[in-house]
Amino acid sequence: MNENSILLKMQDISKSFPGVLANDHVTIECEKGHVLGLLGENGAGKTTLMNILYGLYQPDQGKIFVDGKQVVINSPSEAINHGIGMVHQHFKLVDTLSVIENVILGIPTNKAVLDFGPAKKKLEKLCKEYELFVDPEEIVWRLPVGKQQWVEILKALYRDCKVLVLDEPTAVLTPSESDQLCRAIRKITEQGRSVVFISHKLREVIEITDKVTVIRDGKVIGTVNTKEATQSILAEMMVGRPVTIERKARPIIKEHSAVLVMKNVNAFDDRGVQALKDFNLTVHAGEIVGVAGVDGNGQRELSECIAGLRKPSSGSITIQDKQVTNVIADPSFVGFIPEDRQKTGLVLDFTVAENLLIKDYKEKPYVKNGFLQYSEIKKHAEHMIKKYNIKSPSGDIKVKTLSGGNQQKVVIARELDAQPVLDVASHPTRGLDLGAVSNVHDILLNERNRGAAVLFISAELQEVIALSDRIIVLYSGQIMGELDGETADQFTIGQMMLGQTTEAKK
Amino acid sequence: MRTKEKIIKVPFIGDLIYSSGHTIVGILLGIFTGGLLIAISGVNPFLAYASMFRGAFNSLQSFSNVLVRSSPLLLGGIGVAIGIKSGVWNTGIEGYMYIGAIGATIVAIPELGLPPIIHILLCFIVAMLFAGLWGAIPGYLRAYKGVNEVTATIMLSYVAIYFTNWIVSGSPLAQEGAYFPMSLPFAKSSLLSILMKGTSLHPGPFIGLLMCIIFHIILKYTPFGFRTRMLGHNPFAAQYAGINSKKQIVITMVIGAMLGGLGGAIEVLGLKHRLYMEFVTGVGYESVAVALVAGGEPIGVMLSALFFSILKVGGATMSIETGVSSSMASIIIALCVLFVIGVGVADSKRLKKRDEKDPGKKTLSFKMEEAVK
Repeated sequence: MNENSILLKMQDISKSFPGVLANDHVTIECEKGHVLGLLGENGAGKTTLMNILYGLYQPDQGKIFVDGKQVVINSPSEAINHGIGMVHQHFKLVDTLSVIENVILGIPTNKAVLDFGPAKKKLEKLCKEYELFVDPEEIVWRLPVGKQQWVEILKALYRDCKVLVLDEPTAVLTPSESDQLCRAIRKITEQGRSVVFISHKLREVIEITDKVTVIRDGKVIGTVNTKEATQSILAEMMVGRPVTIERKARPIIKEHSAVLVMKNVNAFDDRGVQALKDFNLTVHAGEIVGVAGVDGNGQRELSECIAGLRKPSSGSITIQDKQVTNVIADPSFVGFIPEDRQKTGLVLDFTVAENLLIKDYKEKPYVKNGFLQYSEIKKHAEHMIKKYNIKSPSGDIKVKTLSGGNQQKVVIARELDAQPVLDVASHPTRGLDLGAVSNVHDILLNERNRGAAVLFISAELQEVIALSDRIIVLYSGQIMGELDGETADQFTIGQMMLGQTTEAKK
Repeated sequence: MRTKEKIIKVPFIGDLIYSSGHTIVGILLGIFTGGLLIAISGVNPFLAYASMFRGAFNSLQSFSNVLVRSSPLLLGGIGVAIGIKSGVWNTGIEGYMYIGAIGATIVAIPELGLPPIIHILLCFIVAMLFAGLWGAIPGYLRAYKGVNEVTATIMLSYVAIYFTNWIVSGSPLAQEGAYFPMSLPFAKSSLLSILMKGTSLHPGPFIGLLMCIIFHIILKYTPFGFRTRMLGHNPFAAQYAGINSKKQIVITMVIGAMLGGLGGAIEVLGLKHRLYMEFVTGVGYESVAVALVAGGEPIGVMLSALFFSILKVGGATMSIETGVSSSMASIIIALCVLFVIGVGVADSKRLKKRDEKDPGKKTLSFKMEEAVK
């Protein structure tokens, strides 16, 4: 390959955050006029890498080359000067300004009075050139999300970027807008510009890109020419885990009454996009139902609807024939291990003892005559620390000083100790080391054996297969298929995760 | 160890690290810089500060002035502090004081034939009721409509101030033909008694100190306090734990308003004996500074309110004795607040940088990742 044709190269980039190695010696290359796909699950390190490129983070090590020259990027404005344009997943537009104002915002000018005339002409020319039409005078907040994305792209093109980074651009687009985006990307690359296309949607990546680099757990798994790649190769690179998790033997549970029943549930995500579509699901006592699927296909909304944190727009959810509204407050009914333990599951500045009681703090014996009984709270903490083997010197230390695995144990202890009828575990092993993972698996299996209904959501195929009695595959808010846990194989699930049923494959 | 420290999110400024050590450094820097300014104005700063100290502690009378001055700061400060604890900035104390004073005035003027203790309590209750309803407006707007509480409370304070101006000049409660806009005089039975002869020491400061202790206990030892702190530390977790965060926000803002209203009522019943136009100029805003310097801790409010009043009362003496401008006390207070904030913000930035470089030491890391998202 001709070295000169490489427009952007990030070499041997490493970046760590406390407890997480977000990028581990990552190298990516993007040729002139090419589209590089950056593929990986949520949390794989794609966005961190791009934030380094855009000067928002400094790498711990590694070099960045633009057009063959090594550059050091300390801030976004330096990145722009080097010809890097970025469209973030969450747009960085000033809602109350017009399109043209947003586009020229931050461009230095030596005129005392802003003259929008030439800028507007230039923008209109760009609109026509790339067929991304927006009215320069429109106020940004009045534009639909898709159009806001055009503004972001036009903003970067207006600054004559050489490399355009698009972070999950299609997440907010309708299918026809996605096609429009594809056409625009082709035109952009025809002019010798390069595009880095970040996504976890395989189909688009195959459609648009020339090369794909797959990132998993902060490491580059491989780079392939898109022509030679298939969805299943990429899927395996993306989710395959190097370690195998053994399926453990389990007793057959006799009692099998339906605990969780969801009927025709529809729900929307925070952006107002429909996340669950006519969703039907029944989970019985004494079974683990695994929910597989690429992240962002409705898993989060599913768990939140069941827990009563999100209101479905229609449909019914019952747990033991009781309509669900706010079951979250009652851990003896539903135990919910949320997907982000630090953001949702714990109050990091509270002690371990307090965190164990953030739901039960007003119950007896922790409250007497209106006052918290710290001696009881402490006793409870000591009991739980012993019972769940939480590695904490006492209940009095702040939970943020514990390791991730032990923080998760605090959440699990709080949620499951009251023996709820339904457990909802959302990515309970995310970010944990192997020992902690198997510990969590044992606990969930015990819950099942005790007779609880368990809904286990995970993006890691192997653990879903190892743990579940029944597996459902979630794809864009719908169940793509259902498999038996004993006989399910990764390949079939992988196909379903991409939105293909096994029948449709042939 | 960094366990005693905490992080406060200040609107428009960002995260600041708070601990007693940080505060003391900030205050010392403020006093030092104030000294420089005094020196520039041509006065020996040591003499000036000595005179300020004398002015506050020279006699029982001067110290009772300090206490009297601290009364509204204590009540206002604790009102703001409880908001900080739950993650809202209840900056409308100025307005609550006016509205509370209006409430007290309405029942204080007529001779009701009640024993003083009952009449005073009635005044307090009406004052707190008025202010509480007033505080419910920004509370509701913040919790249910997402209106920024700092903007809402400050704007409402102006409404309260102008409403008071009308009460004391155009309403039936106004004293006609007065040299300065004021209300009719209060009934004798409604006035707070003077605790020490020859001073104006009324029970207000002690009520304020008592409230600080009561709210320290409430925040630390009751389920209500637990909820409030949880909401302040992590609103997502609070919602997940089944707390009605909207209701909780309204409640804490109403409580803060009631305390501010009580502070205003005590000022008119204990000190002014009438409702005057602009009788608390700026004290409400000073309470925000008091709570900020105290890091939202009720016990800290006791100390910082007293510190502020020492500077204010001593500053007057300093101005008379040494000829330093009378606004120097306010300038020193402002410098102390700025330095406490500055030290906290600078330190939190330093730690963030260090965390980025050296992930082994965890302090602010999780906050940082949050902010990046």
